[in-house]
Amino acid sequence: MKHKPYVPKDVAGKLAKTFIQNPLTMVLGIFLLALGYISLEVMPREENPQMVVSGSTVIVALPGATAAEVERVIVKPLERKLKEVKGVEHIYGTAMDNVGIVNAAFFIGENKEDSNLKVYDKIMQNSNMFPKGAMNPIIKPLDIDVDIPIVSVAFFSNDKNMSETDLYDNVKTMQHYINGLPNVAVTDLKGGHKHQFNIEVDINKLAGYNLSLGQITQAVQSLSYNVPNIKNRTKDNEIVIFGVKNAIQTIEDIDNIIVADYFGSPIYLKQVATVTDGYNYQNFQSAQISIQSDHSFSKLQNQVTLTISKLQGTNAVIIADAVKEELSKYKDMLAKNGINYVITRNDGERANDAVNELVFHLILSIIIIAILLIFVLGWRESLIVTFTVPAILAITLFVAYLSGQTINRITLFAFLLSLGLLVDAAIIVIENIHRHYHSVDSAHKDKDELMIEATDEIGAPTNIATLAIIMTMIPMAFVGQMMGQFMKPIPANVPVALVASLFVAYIFTPYLAVRILKRPKHNEEHK
Amino acid sequence: MFAKFEQAVLTGIQSQKQRKFILIGTVVGLILSIMMIPTELVLAKMLPGKNNDTFNIYVKLPQGSSIEQTTSVTNCVASIVQKEKEVTDLEVFLGMGSPLDFAGLIKGSQFKNSENVAELVVNLTKKHEREEPSYMMVQRLRPVVVKSCEPIVKNSDISFVEPPAGPPTLAAIVAEIYGKDADGIRVLAQKVETIFKKTQGLVDIDTMEDTIYDTFDIKVNPEKAARSGVSIKQINDIMYLAFEGMDIAVKNSPKYNDQIPVFLSLSNDSKRFTTKDLDAVQAKLSSLKLMNKFGMMVPVTELVSIQPTKSHPIIMSKDLHEMTNVMAETDMVSQVYPLIDARAQILKELANDYEITKTGLFDLEFKDKKSGNIYELKWDGEMKVTLDTFRDLGGAFIAALILIFLLMVVYYKSYTLSGIILVGSFLSIIGVILGHWVMDIFTTDTFFLTATSLIGFIALIGISSRNSLLLIDFTKSLMHDKGMHKAEAIAYATATRAKPIFLTATAIILASTLLAGDAVFGGLGVSLIFGTIAAVIASLIVVPILLYNADLERHFHFHEKQAVSITDPL
Repeated sequence: MKHKPYVPKDVAGKLAKTFIQNPLTMVLGIFLLALGYISLEVMPREENPQMVVSGSTVIVALPGATAAEVERVIVKPLERKLKEVKGVEHIYGTAMDNVGIVNAAFFIGENKEDSNLKVYDKIMQNSNMFPKGAMNPIIKPLDIDVDIPIVSVAFFSNDKNMSETDLYDNVKTMQHYINGLPNVAVTDLKGGHKHQFNIEVDINKLAGYNLSLGQITQAVQSLSYNVPNIKNRTKDNEIVIFGVKNAIQTIEDIDNIIVADYFGSPIYLKQVATVTDGYNYQNFQSAQISIQSDHSFSKLQNQVTLTISKLQGTNAVIIADAVKEELSKYKDMLAKNGINYVITRNDGERANDAVNELVFHLILSIIIIAILLIFVLGWRESLIVTFTVPAILAITLFVAYLSGQTINRITLFAFLLSLGLLVDAAIIVIENIHRHYHSVDSAHKDKDELMIEATDEIGAPTNIATLAIIMTMIPMAFVGQMMGQFMKPIPANVPVALVASLFVAYIFTPYLAVRILKRPKHNEEHK
Repeated sequence: MFAKFEQAVLTGIQSQKQRKFILIGTVVGLILSIMMIPTELVLAKMLPGKNNDTFNIYVKLPQGSSIEQTTSVTNCVASIVQKEKEVTDLEVFLGMGSPLDFAGLIKGSQFKNSENVAELVVNLTKKHEREEPSYMMVQRLRPVVVKSCEPIVKNSDISFVEPPAGPPTLAAIVAEIYGKDADGIRVLAQKVETIFKKTQGLVDIDTMEDTIYDTFDIKVNPEKAARSGVSIKQINDIMYLAFEGMDIAVKNSPKYNDQIPVFLSLSNDSKRFTTKDLDAVQAKLSSLKLMNKFGMMVPVTELVSIQPTKSHPIIMSKDLHEMTNVMAETDMVSQVYPLIDARAQILKELANDYEITKTGLFDLEFKDKKSGNIYELKWDGEMKVTLDTFRDLGGAFIAALILIFLLMVVYYKSYTLSGIILVGSFLSIIGVILGHWVMDIFTTDTFFLTATSLIGFIALIGISSRNSLLLIDFTKSLMHDKGMHKAEAIAYATATRAKPIFLTATAIILASTLLAGDAVFGGLGVSLIFGTIAAVIASLIVVPILLYNADLERHFHFHEKQAVSITDPL
């Protein structure tokens, strides 16, 4: 019988035929794995997927108005105006004494920059709608990336003598260093107190000298004035610079301000008030910390927290590490000043842990499946299927990287979910090859041809079946709201993985099978 | 093994009694498993709790409380947290929000700036090194903290805020109360709050509303003011300066990072009122004097009269309608069931004062029997997100079914075969629901049917339709190429396909076991594991029977009957 080469009917067979003896197949395989690995390392890591949440808050102050008045003249007109903006889902109004706040929340997924601009535009176009006496509106857009810090560091002092303001000032210096790191967006301080000269007037003494607070204010203000230097020239055209200095340099200067003349003798400020070089005690906000070490907590003590947020689309892991390193550089310097610090939030580390844990799970799953296949199909077959998994994941990762996704919990869950599905194609192909290989009918056939035929045979139903699974994932992409955004990596990545699984199964499975599988000798009848 | 199974399928599908038995059994199984959801044997929730390394405690005192009072409450909370071994550090942020996080962003933590609020951040040891999950710890600490710290200042609210497993929401349950008059809303909100407090499973109940407290209005007597040549601005300035204080000058500093302000105020001893009443205010203001145009000192009290009054509570609105939120968190239970309980209780208890009509799915409309005012109660928060998500996912599920059906119709050009595949894949729901029920029995805390369970179920349709599809395709080629008879072809195909079906099923199950351990994606894992088992059983037992019942020759578009088997009486 003259041998007629097998003509593949399906894409599966065609792909298998093209690649089965092609020397580039190996190169392609290695290239794909390399791409995947690079993507895994380069892609920004996050704990949770990025959500596009847009919104703006408009704050308008109207001093002296009651809540009900603010509601009528500020909140209601503002709400009506914001209602005109397209894409706004909800408008929240809050009217309280002296100030009105209106918040416009956009539909999830609305473009952030556009939304911010729309609100800004609307307010500016209608800036004449605000009542007399209202202050300029403050428009604060919501920016999740910049608003939510990824790292927070609490600084505290062990030195009891250290003043509150020194701690704050030292942290403020640190803030500037940290802000200089690449991709750091906003740094902010919470807690702590600023330096301030306090004049505390005794009301009784004031009455005794027949003075009013207004007089004290005037007296202080008249001596405290900052002006630029004055420039003049000599006859020889040389420049001479001289300036009037602020008369207040130290607290003694304030102490000795003459506030009034009492029957011919001057009254100094120190006679009616205590002047201290202190902190802004009128600020009621403060932060405290307590740390557990050796099973006991330190007492709650004052601290200053430095918060650091990152720019959108940058890698939290790298930034958090950079912050950590920068801090350790200054550790000695801070310690010399009696300042300790503890990192109280590290989303970079958290994201990295979550990602690493899931990658570990992924590898563990692959190993378990490989072991299972060894028992059922034999170790050679198992080896082939096990190779296809990283290849498929590599392609999926690379596509995810190209489409600007990040590696987060949900992406990796999408991988874990697709893991069970994507070995299917390879298993079906290898199982069919295995069956043909071991069947007596095909004992006379050529090795390559057998591979192509076996692959081709299950091509059509496998394609359709995989398409069916992809079809189930597509509607998930249309789930709305936060939850839809949150789960987006699943419909975005599972179909890619499935399509990749088909190609990998058709290209690499027969290629490897020809080289790795051993053909049984059909001496005895095989069942 | 192979031959045995083939034989079993062959006799099975040919015996009418067995066919009937299996088909009826399947239908009963389907109905029973679906009934587990309305009977609350399997509980639904959007997302379960997640084991975190951190959680926050929000402290809110009634409006008008001082920072010192707030500190006394936070100190109490801190002292309890400090007894915990697994806490690494604890931060207290007084008068402001803690560094912003996802939950805080939605709950408005960034806008906190008053003396009556505080937030605590509790950092725990790494979750791998800790036995107790954070949500269990919160559940354990909550009653202790609430019991000992809330009574320190009356009407204080302490709530525990955990990083959400999914998208953040304002609260687990939010009852939005809409109306036209603020007082009516306030009354109704308080009634709803009382009912929430009595509802089992609801904790951290809080109405987003200012408490009304005593204040004083200072009215300037225009005639006296004019006569002594003093303006209102002057009076206000002097009082502000005296009691709040003001920066009156600044000094630039080469050493510090900020300008140094010069701050003027009355000294602490001399500015405090002795008590919180009219006389004390009057007495203090009388000693405060200001200088008039003629250089004479005039006591402030000469020019003004002081009247006690009440504070103006803030007015909130959503989408241009005035409203108030009553919020509650759930204590380790799904928000669905307490909501249904609370709603039933509202319908029962408030029926005396209001005519209540049901609107929408759970929403209510109230008509005050006395005044005739109309109020509305709408549910929001995690509850609404849950409903929306389940609705959307349900839609996605139906869309997936239709897409698969159409795909199969295109492939087979037969509605019956496509129908068989669809039925076969739908049966995996039995496994999904039973799986959750079994897991619930074996786990200590409730195992919920979550949004991720639904995702798993949707993926399962695809997986099980693949099984049926490979089976039908193989049967077709056996009948077409080998000329086998229907029953034999089905039996042979089932037995041959059993191996890859089992293999792929085991692969899915093994890959999903690791998912099942995760708090959030546990539902997905369990769905996949048990759903796959059900799908395998369905495609190896139910699908062959359905195939046998169908006129395959016609559906495969064979032009003539292919062959006659010896076992076939025809």
